[in-house]
Amino acid sequence: MAKLGADKIAPGPLQILATAGTLPLALMAFIQLRLRLEKDVRGISYGILNGVLSGIGLLAYYAAVSRGKVAVVGPVTSLFPLLTVVLAFFLLRERLSRTQMVGVALSLVAIGIFSQ
Amino acid sequence: MKTLGTNSWFWYSLVTVVSWGAVGLLQKLGTNRISSRSVLIWVFVGFLVLVPFLSFSPLSQLSPYLLSIGILSGFLNALGSLFLFLSLESGATASVAVPLTGLFPLVTVVLGVSILGERPSLLEWVGVACALLGGILLSREPEPIVGS
Repeated sequence: MAKLGADKIAPGPLQILATAGTLPLALMAFIQLRLRLEKDVRGISYGILNGVLSGIGLLAYYAAVSRGKVAVVGPVTSLFPLLTVVLAFFLLRERLSRTQMVGVALSLVAIGIFSQ
Repeated sequence: MKTLGTNSWFWYSLVTVVSWGAVGLLQKLGTNRISSRSVLIWVFVGFLVLVPFLSFSPLSQLSPYLLSIGILSGFLNALGSLFLFLSLESGATASVAVPLTGLFPLVTVVLGVSILGERPSLLEWVGVACALLGGILLSREPEPIVGS
């Protein structure tokens, strides 16, 4: 879907449209919460920062698919969990299994191939 | 050494990897404190923060078809996020649930090759295979510690 759009629409306008596309779900969530928002400042900050960073990531993703093959950009950008797993290991003390470590290694090989 | 110009898509992809990697952690931290639906609302606010920095002028030149494709991609993305928040809220760990969402390219590769007629090179296919297999392995739940 992003590739179909990114071929013809610049990343900036595409992000504006994507924001518009998020509105109905945000409204639905607001109605389900009976128009009441929780007031946990840290929770709210995490949410907003989450939105800003995922927007920046999406802008870069649109820029990448408009310059490369989506069949390649898709898998490369999908390596983001690598960072999440590492951050979760250090900051949330989540454990990493041996299988996950092999996954980390394979992901690094993929990054190596595509950075050539 | 290649210049940024020849594989600029890679560096943009790297920005995506770093931002979304941090987002994976923030999603878990957020759903630890507030409900999934609240997180989605604040994510939307975060999107709005970016809007003033973006250019609106090209929007007027887009056909209704392209406008709807852009809006639909945002809608589907947010829908995917909501389900991820729900899984994190109900106790999934960030290091398992987030890698699972990284498997979205399985669908993208199939659609890119079948609908858009893309033909990745052999080395690119090896990279695709490593990335996908890496994603699958990363999403494997760690065995519980014996005796704990």
